[in-house]
Amino acid sequence: MREEILKDITGRFKDDIVDVFDKSPSRVYIEIRKEALVKIATYALRQIKARFNIASGVDCRHHFEILYHFTVEDINLLISFRVKLPVDKLEIDSLAPVFEGANWIEREMSELLGIDFKGHPDKRRLLLSDEWPEGVYPLRCDYEEWDKKAIRDRGI
Amino acid sequence: MSFKLNALLRSPWVFHLSTGSCNNCDIEVLDCLTPRFDIERFGMLLAPSIKHADVLLITGSCNRKSAERLKRLYEQAPKPCLVVAIGECSMSRGMFVHSYNCPQPLDKIIPVDVYIPGCPPKPEAIIAGVVKLIEKVKAQAAEKK
Repeated sequence: MREEILKDITGRFKDDIVDVFDKSPSRVYIEIRKEALVKIATYALRQIKARFNIASGVDCRHHFEILYHFTVEDINLLISFRVKLPVDKLEIDSLAPVFEGANWIEREMSELLGIDFKGHPDKRRLLLSDEWPEGVYPLRCDYEEWDKKAIRDRGI
Repeated sequence: MSFKLNALLRSPWVFHLSTGSCNNCDIEVLDCLTPRFDIERFGMLLAPSIKHADVLLITGSCNRKSAERLKRLYEQAPKPCLVVAIGECSMSRGMFVHSYNCPQPLDKIIPVDVYIPGCPPKPEAIIAGVVKLIEKVKAQAAEKK
């Protein structure tokens, strides 16, 4: 069952898959081109009947990464689709129009890492406060303190 | 001692607020109310609304969003309102001291009467802290006389 699913994905999307890393019996990382994300995610959701767990964004200094984690629950398999984004072009197609579960996590990634999700239906802020300045992204490696009034000692 | 203060110290009603804690301190606060530690023998009850409360228990390191809510809550509390900071996070922000979202410690936002350190503090420590608070207020009232 596990091999069939992996063979199905790698065979069907062989032009879009950059790399497959078979980490353990329950974990597979598949690196894909970012143009094919919506196509592959929709296929995983609708045809393989995988469940969308969560996505995670990482600032790797030389590039940004987004991992979309899908679970095939009846065989206990976690497939992570990895997309690499160049630092000078941080944009990717949104998955929120396809399924609602991607909505909030994409809002969170866009405000904390500054990734632009094209076609997202609701680009408001999710977590940061209203006083937070535009264009400052706290989870980036090069984040620097902007608040001059912040107290950073323990008062001793 | 005035009638009002006497009533307050005999049965301080407590309102419990988490300003973004990891919930560990909150578990210890609720532990105080169980029969094992039974903080009700000091007349303390959890108040359902801040408008009924005499004591404000605060856990967690205030972040930028909850600081606004905290100020609003403190303004709504009937005075005199005693503030108790529970746990390392609400005292010095603990491990979040350099966090982008926690610019100020709690006692720079509202005045704090008692600090109870620990990560999380034991229920015994919370009870000891609150009893000390009651004694402190009693002593202050006696001094004023």
